[in-house]
Order: sequence, then C-alpha cells, then structure tokens
Amino acid sequence: MKRHNRAVGRKSPKQLMRSKGKITIRKLPSGVRGLDEILGGGIPEFSFNIIAATPGCGKTTLAHQIAFANATAEKPALYFTVLGEPAWKMLRHQQQFAFFDAAKVGKAVRFINLSDLVLEQDLNVVLQEIIKQVSAANPGIVVVDSFRTVVRKAAVGSGELDMQSFILQLAQFLTGWQATTFLVGEYVEEEIRDNTLFTIADGLLWLWQVTERNSVVRKLQIMKLRGQATVPGLHTIRIGDNGLQAFSRTLGLTGSRTKPVEGRRLSLGIPELDRMLGGGIKEGDSLLVAGPSGTGKSALATQFIAEGLRNGESGIMAIFEERPEGYTHRAGTFGLRLQDAQRQGTLETLYLRPLDLSVDETMQEILDAIGRVGAKRLVIDSLVGFEMALAPGFRADFRESLYRMIGALTGAGITILSTVEVEDTFTALPFSHYAISFLTDDIIRMRYVEIDGQLRKVMVVIKMRGGNHSKDIREYVITDKGVVIIHPRQTDYARLSSGLPERIGRREEIAPEPKATQ
Amino acid sequence: MSQASPQMRDFAKRLTAHESKGNKSSQSKARVAFQVCEKLRPHIATLMGNAGFQGLLARALALASREAPALRALHVKADGSLAELDELEAQARPVDLAEEGVVLLTQFLGLLAAFIGESLTLRMVLQAHPKLPFNDLDDQRLAK
Repeated sequence: MKRHNRAVGRKSPKQLMRSKGKITIRKLPSGVRGLDEILGGGIPEFSFNIIAATPGCGKTTLAHQIAFANATAEKPALYFTVLGEPAWKMLRHQQQFAFFDAAKVGKAVRFINLSDLVLEQDLNVVLQEIIKQVSAANPGIVVVDSFRTVVRKAAVGSGELDMQSFILQLAQFLTGWQATTFLVGEYVEEEIRDNTLFTIADGLLWLWQVTERNSVVRKLQIMKLRGQATVPGLHTIRIGDNGLQAFSRTLGLTGSRTKPVEGRRLSLGIPELDRMLGGGIKEGDSLLVAGPSGTGKSALATQFIAEGLRNGESGIMAIFEERPEGYTHRAGTFGLRLQDAQRQGTLETLYLRPLDLSVDETMQEILDAIGRVGAKRLVIDSLVGFEMALAPGFRADFRESLYRMIGALTGAGITILSTVEVEDTFTALPFSHYAISFLTDDIIRMRYVEIDGQLRKVMVVIKMRGGNHSKDIREYVITDKGVVIIHPRQTDYARLSSGLPERIGRREEIAPEPKATQ
Repeated sequence: MSQASPQMRDFAKRLTAHESKGNKSSQSKARVAFQVCEKLRPHIATLMGNAGFQGLLARALALASREAPALRALHVKADGSLAELDELEAQARPVDLAEEGVVLLTQFLGLLAAFIGESLTLRMVLQAHPKLPFNDLDDQRLAK
C-alpha cells in the first residue's frame, strides 16, 4: 500500500519539468460571447495582437469589448485613437452596445487621441508619447486604433527600417510593461507576407465581411495565436445589441460530455414504430424522417417530443416552416397539451425564419434553449426550411454545417429527430435532396402509395445504425391520436416502394380508411 | 439648430457659479464661463484631438452667436483656444460678458452631449472639475 502511494506521489521527469519550469499563461476574457472558446480559452496575457479587417467588419467594436471587459481603475485600458474614426463619433456609436459602461470611461477606459502627434511629428515622438502615457497609467490593455494610419504616415515620413524599429520597440515596451496590446488596422490578406508587423505580432485576429447575393455575413479567423491552440477555420460573427458575438465552428461543445453508452432506447410515442425500430430510437441518435408533404412528418415529430415530456425528458422544437401555433394546435388535436410543458419550462419552441442566419447562429439558439430547459430531445422541422433560413453564403456549406451540428448535439447526448421533405418520384425512393443520410444514425422513409384507388401512406425503417430493425413496409394513418401504424398487411403487394404497387395475392383486408361510396 | 436645452443652460450656469467661487476679481468673474471652456480643452482634446475640440467649439460659437451677437467678434484658434476674448472683454459690460460666456458654454456642452451623450459629457466635465459637488446634469446641490 505504502509502495503504491509512493508511486502515485512520484512525478515523471516530464511532469517535473511541467510543474517546475513551465509558465502558465493567464488568459484574459475577450468579453465577446463565443470568442474565448475560439481563442482556446481567452486572450493570452501580455500578448501583442493585431485586429485586422476591411472597413465595417467590427474591428473597433471588438477592441472596445476587450477593453471594457478587462479594464479596471487599477489596471485601466488605454485606447489610443489615430486618424481613424473620430473619437467622439466612436464613443457615440460604441455606447449603443450593451457592453459599453459609461461609468468606466475616463478612469478604467481612457481614450487618448494621437492624431495631432502622428500628423505633425515623427514616429519616435509618437512612441515616446505612448511610452509616457503607458508609464503613467500602468494599463492592462492597450489599443491603438487605427494602427494602419500610423504605418501609412511612417511610409511617407520614414524608411522601412524606422517602421520596423518602431514596431519592435513598441512591442517590447508594451509587453515589458505587462500590457496586452491590440493594434487595430485595415489590412487585406495579401499584406501578410511582406509586413514585419504580422511577424512580430503574437496574435492575428482577422475579420471578414462576405457579401453573397442579397446577404452579408461576417466571419472571424484566428490566423495566429502564439502558445495557444485555437479553433481553426472561419467562424461566423454577428454584431448585435450586445456588440460582437462569435459562433465557434465547434459550437461551444468542446469538452462536453460524450454520447451515453448505456444504449437506452427512447420511445417515439408510437408503440408499433418503436417495435419496427427494434425497441425505439437509441438515446443520442440522430433520426431522419423523410417524406413528401402531408405524410405526417411533423405529426410524428410532435409525438416524439410529447412522449419525451411524458417520460420526464425536456424537449426543444426548432421549426422553420410551420408557425408554433400550428404545431401546438395539431398536438392538441392528438390530445397532447404542449402549452402545459411550455408553461412549465420543459418544452421550448424555436421559430427561426430570418433569411440571413448561419448554421452556427442557429445552433447557438438551439444550444441556448437546450441549456435553458435541459433538453434531451430535439426536433428540427424541417431541414429544407432550415436551409432556406440560412444566408445564401451559408447554403453552400449546409451539409458540412449540418454534419458538425448533428455530431456536436448527439455527442452531447441529445436525441435528434429531423424531418426532410422529399418528392415521391414513383420510380425511386430517395431519402433527401441533400445526400445527408450519412449524417444520421437512423432513417424512416414515409411515402404515398396508390392502392385500390386510394392514396395511402406507408413507412419503412431504412437504416438503424448499430441495431436491427424491421424491414417491413407498414401502412399508417393519421388519426386523432396522431400517426398510427395499422395492423400488419395481409394482402401481398409487389413494388410497394415505387408507390405504384401490384397486388400479387388475394385481397385479405379492407381499406384502413373507408373509400368513398358515392 | 441650437443644442441648448433649459436643463443644459442651468447646468452651465451652475458650473460657472462653481468655477467663479475661486475667482475674486470682478474682471475675471465676467469671463469665468470662457475659463470653464478653456479648462475642458485639454481633457476633451485628449479624447478627440485639438482639431476635434476646435471644430466643436467653433460650432458652439456659431450657435451661441445667434443668441449673443457680440460673440461674433471671437474665433477659435487651431489649438482650440479662443481668440479676441480680451478685446471683447474690453468693450463689453462684465455682466453681459458673463451671460455671453454662459451662452457659449451652454451650446458647447449641448453639442458635446448631443454627440456622446449626457453621461459621458458629465464625466468629461468631472475630469476637468473633479471637485464639482454634483454628478448629474439635474443635480441641484450646487444651486443651493
């Protein structure tokens, strides 16, 4: 026992090195929702960073958010303005955002205009003024906005070496003074190669504004951040009342719990369908319900949610086509009182129809709702509506985004039922237009078939990942109880999946819903 | 368009009254409101630069001149200070000069508040006058 304890207490040489010699870099909050996750935890303290973008991307707003999030009277933020947006206009605009705290202005956040100096003096004088102000204020955050105008002035008045020397001295001084620095500037990507500034900088945050057809989307990329593992790629950002909000491509689910391993089966609220699925849908699975309009996809989705509520599992319905009232009304006709659950806070209906959403923003809405109600079940009705709600620029990435979204949510243990509308072709049985079936664990296909002069409905379980399932094509009806699968068919048909079957045996049963006689 | 609300005029008066407490001579008391503007200059120029301050004061002077035509004799220098004030002071009665100064200060503060809001305007004023016994534009404590 003693020996065991010694072994536990002993550290390997690697661990020793880690515990003795390694510096832990403190990470400052960015003040931007979602950005810390993208940055790998926050902004490295004492780092020297560039916020670069073309006009209108939100550089100044981002810099303000960082300043206001970190500034205190003891460790203020110094915000040097240089020939960019006039400081008074900047204040006028920035105070519209919720993060702007007027009480901090002057003491915790101090604005200093360097325009006159930059216009009238050389770089050395500008540097000396920054040194003077920083030495006097002892700031935790320093922003120079726009640093690009300093560089432009230098290009006219000084040589390249002077400029490099200025940047190097500035970086060394500010880091030595234990300030975390942000140089804000208007740059285009081509400038990265030949610009010393980008070599010296520890962090490079690049913002984009992409116009596609009628919509504009803003994106952010952490091109560089020394000493920290950031989330790669382009992340959607949006400027709203709270300032910038970033939507990580990992959807904020890094490190969240993994899929449940117990393999519990969840009922869809339709006993016969549960049997077809081998006992229900596996917890943490993604189920795709595909079928043409009117086949009962939304009804099935409602029953799935309602069954969860009956079993104490909260739910979210993200609907993109039908109005929430329609949903609640239909559920009412099935005897399901969704409004009770909504009142109790165990069900939330998200009606998402703006036309310039990104998948990540939608995801954030859904994740927030999941967090609010502790949801175990999620309905997305429908993927077609979802795609239409996206900005055109995001539609090209719909499949990839959907892959990330479903993977992230099911990884977090949420069971998802998505619907997708497909046309019945009467020659084939497509699952969707998007070739997204690989994204889902399970697929149920609903379709119309013409039998004896009636357009009836059938469903079949196409796929059940990691489990056996019924291969039967089952007829169903939509009654005042919702989707009801009727007794197994006794009459044999061939080519049922084509929608135009041929009866190959004796007719053994009457139509499930009466035929018109007059 | 005038930016001067009665509330701002009252604020300017109270600010001038506070500033004049430290002044003993009747001569300098007449130009106290102008001194308030001058005292604000370095603080506001730190924020918006000399050019920004100069532009704001020049606009305030133009607006104030409609109400107090004698102010047309003044102009704002590039560094934001007022030129020809001594000449105006020599010609005007102290009581008139004092009133004209308040008109200018009212317009200047009104403009500043129109651009950056009353809250930040008050903070700027408090930076220049840290001992002000009020922290609200409507605060009546100074008037007592």
